[in-house]
Amino acid sequence: MNVQPDLDFIRYLKTAGGDTMKKCYQCATCSVMCPLSTDENPFPRQEMIWSGWGMKDKLIGDPNVFLCHQCGDCTAYCPRGAKPGDVLGAVRAYAYTALGWPTGLAKLASTAKGLPMLIAIPSVIIFVLWAISGGMVIPTSEDFAKYGYQRFFGYWDFHWLAKNVAFIDFFMLGAVGLAVVGSYKGVTNLWKQMCKREGVNPDFKPSLVQLARDFVWPSIIEIVQHNRFRECGTNRNREIGHKALMWSFIGLFIVTLWSMFANDVLGLWIPSFHGPMTIWNPVKILANVSAIAMIVGCGILWMNRSKSEAEGNITPTFYDWFLIWEIMAVAVTGILAQYLRWAGLITPGYIIYYFHLVTVMMLFMYMPYTKFAHLIYRTTAMTFERYRDSSFVKNPLDK
Amino acid sequence: MTDEQGTSGAILVVGGGISGLTAALEAAEVGNDVFLVEKNAYFGGRVAQLNQYFPKLCPPSCGLEINFKRIKDNRRIRTYTMTSVTAVSGGPGNYEVTLETAPRYVNSNCTACGDCADACTDEIDNDFNFGMNKSKAAYLPHEMAFPRRYVINKDALSDEGAAAVKASCKYGAVDLDMGTDSKTITVASIIWATGWTPYDPTKMDNLKYNESDAIVTNMMIERMAAPGGPTDGAILRPGDNKEPESFAFVQCAGSRDENHLEFCSYICCMATFKQMTYIRERYPEAKIYVFYIDLRTPGKYEKFREKLMKDEHSTFIKGKVAEIIPESDGSVTVVAENAMTGEKIKQNVDLAVLATGMQPSLNVDGAPVPLDTDPSGFVNSNPETGILSAGCACRAADVVTSNQSATAAALKAIQVSRRS
Repeated sequence: MNVQPDLDFIRYLKTAGGDTMKKCYQCATCSVMCPLSTDENPFPRQEMIWSGWGMKDKLIGDPNVFLCHQCGDCTAYCPRGAKPGDVLGAVRAYAYTALGWPTGLAKLASTAKGLPMLIAIPSVIIFVLWAISGGMVIPTSEDFAKYGYQRFFGYWDFHWLAKNVAFIDFFMLGAVGLAVVGSYKGVTNLWKQMCKREGVNPDFKPSLVQLARDFVWPSIIEIVQHNRFRECGTNRNREIGHKALMWSFIGLFIVTLWSMFANDVLGLWIPSFHGPMTIWNPVKILANVSAIAMIVGCGILWMNRSKSEAEGNITPTFYDWFLIWEIMAVAVTGILAQYLRWAGLITPGYIIYYFHLVTVMMLFMYMPYTKFAHLIYRTTAMTFERYRDSSFVKNPLDK
Repeated sequence: MTDEQGTSGAILVVGGGISGLTAALEAAEVGNDVFLVEKNAYFGGRVAQLNQYFPKLCPPSCGLEINFKRIKDNRRIRTYTMTSVTAVSGGPGNYEVTLETAPRYVNSNCTACGDCADACTDEIDNDFNFGMNKSKAAYLPHEMAFPRRYVINKDALSDEGAAAVKASCKYGAVDLDMGTDSKTITVASIIWATGWTPYDPTKMDNLKYNESDAIVTNMMIERMAAPGGPTDGAILRPGDNKEPESFAFVQCAGSRDENHLEFCSYICCMATFKQMTYIRERYPEAKIYVFYIDLRTPGKYEKFREKLMKDEHSTFIKGKVAEIIPESDGSVTVVAENAMTGEKIKQNVDLAVLATGMQPSLNVDGAPVPLDTDPSGFVNSNPETGILSAGCACRAADVVTSNQSATAAALKAIQVSRRS
């Protein structure tokens, strides 16, 4: 076999938490200890040697890289301190960048050096829009009590599209649109690479309905139930943290959809939908419960990670911390903005609300390139895992 | 200069296993006075527990017997069993060492007739056989124990047992009032030949040593295969005494592992090949699976490996066993990833043998005095200070290498004596 090591790839892995990979001596303890590794496709031993040898093409189309939940069982039992869990995390970070579109943005989101720029982009966009909207005036306390942040970008008399809605939709839908296109390109690219690597015969393809019903949907159910998190021995309370976080995202997704519908559609006929919700409004309750769950879940993962790092079990990386910080910032600014509204503190309220918009936009826009991308890529890999074992790929008459 | 013991420039050898015996003899036979102290009640150490040496497959009596004979004939060696070092002071050429001898409760009148053991009603776990059988509380440690004298475990004796043992001895050798004896000696240098202890298999929680009788260690196999062992040479599954039809050897059980022993124990690969010959003698058709990371059979041992790897009923799998599952029928399933094929293997076997490694004994029990050791607990030899090490106290090694290092340590010790 002719191995052409990709030195840049190796160098990247070493900076992204994979600095221990060369210690691996291929004993395969990790593949046995990993509760998620299967009999036919055990990992992460093979991934360790491909990483050490810089064989990135083998790794990017490798579903195992994305199936890993980084519970740390492999690292705990590794006889050499090679930390396979961290190495796979580094490979994922690389894969998100490599699969990401547009490439420039994906690269920017992959290193700590890009952080000032990552914060600056949404900050400037929203600040400029805020400035040109003419909304950058402090409202009277009556107006603040009545409208809250609904007139952050000001007010105009055009009935069919409220000014605030117009401005927020402009950059938020823009950010979401970019993330959706980026995700689609990334996921299809990954799927193609996985199919090629597995030698899938392109003549037998499931219909979209079959794909959704037989492969995607069961994977989503499995993700929601957190079955694989429960397998992990070393880091049990990650399951609780991640579950809280996942449900908070689902809750806030529903809240956001409702707000969009209420503001953009219902508000056209019933103007009161353009005001803040009362605290006992079911949607508001869902929003607050979700926000608290978000802080609790994120806090558990934060503490877990700090503890493991202090014990030397995992290597601190920008890739891991950026997502934790980002989510924490969204939750804290959101809750704080609400509190300041109740307290009638207008100027601090407006400033915090501005930062809330910035953090939310960051979360959306950088989703396909940061650790948040596991949302789409792990789902894809879990779907592929099912697909790989189905009769579309395996001839049921063999074996 | 004449000191209290009438020795000058004497050498203390701590540990009477193969390395200590060799170091003591090499030094004494060129005219040095030697104190040889041994913690156990007998000399011979780990080698005495083996069934055979590799690669020539001769019994340990070959080698030990001749050394015992040389010791008996040499007036310059003073031997002390059941004795440990408790304090060391002074400097090179003039160390003052305190020795403490635990009571044996049997004096030199003993003729090893065995009447006390016959009369004794109390039983203890046989440590020499790793607890696989019992012995009487008045016992000869093993068949070829040297010195050939019984020992009594007084703590395990009941009142009737004590009376019976005392009454049975016609020679007045039983002395249950014996106390701990302490003495101070002056020596020029000290050779630590404290050897090794099999690594505690319960520390590898994933290998479930405590949860099944079908999981044994390589040293237990040595005892089972030995003619005077707990099974009189039969290799049987402990508990149900089943004749195993399949075996798995789990290499590097605790060795080459940062969480356990970070070094390679050097002997386990060869020990496994040797034990394959024990199995073949008894069970020509039994299946043998050897799970390894690398097979390390340096130098001339390669021939031994090549010969055993031709065995048609044996399979060699590159992949470390990281999990053992005890089964309800008494067997076990060992789990590994075959690194050659990239598939996980779950192999059910009647008996799993953990090739546990060597932990320096000083690292298990703790050194009685501060010593210059490496992080794993091996003693660094220092000719300047006259504190030397030999055999497995110095590094994980086979018998040949241990004897070489013992001879080297003896030479350095002699130099220290002449210098002072």
